[in-house]
Amino acid sequence: MAPTRRDVLLLGASATAAALIPAGTVEASNGVDRAIDAFTGGAARLEGGVLLDAPEIFDNGGAVPIRVVAEGARRIALFNDGNPNPGVAVFTFGPLVTPEATIRIRLAGSQNVYAVAEMADGTFRQTSQKIAVTVGGCG
Amino acid sequence: MAEPTPRVKLPKSVEAGVPFTVKTRITHPMHTGERHDSDGELVPRRIINRFVVSYGGEVAIAVDLEPAVSADPYIQFEMAVPESGLLEFQWVDDDGSVYSLQKHVDVD
Repeated sequence: MAPTRRDVLLLGASATAAALIPAGTVEASNGVDRAIDAFTGGAARLEGGVLLDAPEIFDNGGAVPIRVVAEGARRIALFNDGNPNPGVAVFTFGPLVTPEATIRIRLAGSQNVYAVAEMADGTFRQTSQKIAVTVGGCG
Repeated sequence: MAEPTPRVKLPKSVEAGVPFTVKTRITHPMHTGERHDSDGELVPRRIINRFVVSYGGEVAIAVDLEPAVSADPYIQFEMAVPESGLLEFQWVDDDGSVYSLQKHVDVD
């Protein structure tokens, strides 16, 4: 039996739907959610209490300056969702050091950067920022 | 690869208990293990994976680094010290090498 016009349209529609499902999960395909859970032990993360100071757009993805501040934090971890690996760096602060740091990082393309802070009372705080890079840093 | 060279910049003198800025950098290619050389060969991962600063034998700040940290890792932080003392900086390479630097902090 020759395919009817309706069959062809349905096939097209389901193929489109199938293509859309994986597209919805692409952002987290480098495992950033699992990496953050490994850092927090799966604990809830509250928004706020962490400041991520980074450019919204930057020319050179090979060296993007990032400053992170979380008053009262004993550790701060940085993650990304667009590089091959989600981890960036984990800072552990002793009592003499202010819980803030500046570092330069590589971003393979425009993506989100996350800062997750472990506070002195054991709770976790999170913020994120989208950073657009003109030239990717993982060539 | 040229021997990595660490550099640290501190204020000439600081006040007891008042935070000052510490700027650190080490020359290092931070090979991610994802890139290929001009012959198409995968360049094996080789990064500085840990950076530790100690003061008076106690860890002041420790940083675990991943390949997403830029070549020639630059890390800046703020700290305060109660009295003059020695700051010790250590960078740990994937190949097991440890690069060290010591700086004296002079409190007015």
